[in-house]
Amino acid sequence: MADFVRASWNRPPPTGQVMAEAYRIGVKSLPVLLIIAVFVGTNLSLQGYNAFKPLGGQYMVGLFVSMAGVREMAPVIAAAMIAAKAGTEMATQIAVMRIREQIDALEVMAVDPLWFLVTPRLLGIALVLPALTIISIFATLLSAYLVAVWQLGLNGAQFLSFAREGLAPMDLLYCVIKGLCFGIVIAVVGCFFGFKAGRGPEGVGRATNGAVVTMSVVVVFLNYFLSELFYG
Amino acid sequence: MDSPAGTAQSIIELDGVRKCFGRQVVLDDVTIAFPQNATTAIIGPSGAGKSVLLKHLVGLLYADEGRVSVFGTDMASASTRQLYGIRRRFGMLFQDGALFDSLTVGENVAFPLEHHMPQLSEEERWVKVAEKLGWVGLPGFEKRSISSLSGGQRKRVGLARAIIMEPEVVLFDEPNSGLDPLTSDSIDQLILDMKDRLGITFIIISHDIIGTIKVADYIGMLYEGRLVEYAPTKNFIQSHIPVVRSFLRRNIFGPRDSLNQRKQQAPEQS
Repeated sequence: MADFVRASWNRPPPTGQVMAEAYRIGVKSLPVLLIIAVFVGTNLSLQGYNAFKPLGGQYMVGLFVSMAGVREMAPVIAAAMIAAKAGTEMATQIAVMRIREQIDALEVMAVDPLWFLVTPRLLGIALVLPALTIISIFATLLSAYLVAVWQLGLNGAQFLSFAREGLAPMDLLYCVIKGLCFGIVIAVVGCFFGFKAGRGPEGVGRATNGAVVTMSVVVVFLNYFLSELFYG
Repeated sequence: MDSPAGTAQSIIELDGVRKCFGRQVVLDDVTIAFPQNATTAIIGPSGAGKSVLLKHLVGLLYADEGRVSVFGTDMASASTRQLYGIRRRFGMLFQDGALFDSLTVGENVAFPLEHHMPQLSEEERWVKVAEKLGWVGLPGFEKRSISSLSGGQRKRVGLARAIIMEPEVVLFDEPNSGLDPLTSDSIDQLILDMKDRLGITFIIISHDIIGTIKVADYIGMLYEGRLVEYAPTKNFIQSHIPVVRSFLRRNIFGPRDSLNQRKQQAPEQS
């Protein structure tokens, strides 16, 4: 990490590559993220309705969706999807470069591999994951609303009113901060496992596997601590 | 310092270098000086420590004991800035070329220029790329993808990239590995052409004895991590050292058998 900070401190990031990474991670991950976020929203609505109905509180589904879905699930789901797609891709790409001596080639050409490979990925993901988190929040809320109103027959205005109860403007900022932190974790872990890959295809497989497991575990741990910090 | 060149000036020197990976000793007390503007080859069977030695010259690996001096700088104490300064004076051809698949042939060759000579216009850059691709026998290959190249062509592109910054030293890591005999010969011829054209220091790591004799001015042999012989090529091929004789005869079991034989004979003689 210290080597990375030192490598990136004195040189401007390779802007073209940062934008390419941001595009690759952001735009290409968006469809799958939307699918997951939409179905999380639909299921939150269904489960909230089933849980509150025996107590006569089914009209509070909006509150349940905004607190569980927006504050907790949307940032974690966005991070999990990006970890599974972009994070593993980072680990695999760098691991393959390691075993094909391309990282050694960068070193011999006096191009710092940390600056060249890690900086664009880190900045790219840090740029797009907060945005993806916000998009997944709105996709979750919208799908939950549609299920609540069309399928469960709840009052739309009431749903939105309770949703606003559980969702302050600061919550969106907290989600952006979570997205940023998760993005940094995913990039650092993915690149770390890629750089440390062992020899051969087995080394690449282990790097990818180790990266996705570590990212997932660190993200859920970090989510707990950030929630504790913001809402505790 | 082992220098077969007598008074020839050396720019890279290893003094008592020892390198271990875990309990395995890969380089053991290796002392060697590489003469300037000459072609030196280090040969030896697989696993003898040749590639590890090469990586010490550009700071990809560091010695556990001993000293590696490159252009007068002790690599162990060189700062990052010094290290990158030294590396800019090197070019290196990797075993498989180490080319970037996402870039075209031309972009691969232009890669060092883009990073170290941003003042060059795109046109100037592409002129240099075309010139170097012409030198390695691949004129007009700029737009080709890396995946469309054969093994020999990949090595040629790798060499074009290695010389594009006009380095003082070019390192070749197994330039003939994985090639058929004809392609292998053409790579040897290419090295000879580059030697005549550039007149700089070449250091070649190889286990191909025939090609090595053709291109090298000096040959050293590593065996089980030790430098067992280092001499001008014409002296090397007349070496009386058993492991060298066996290797020259291309007896694949020879070096080990010869060494074992020598070890067995030693107590008897004493």
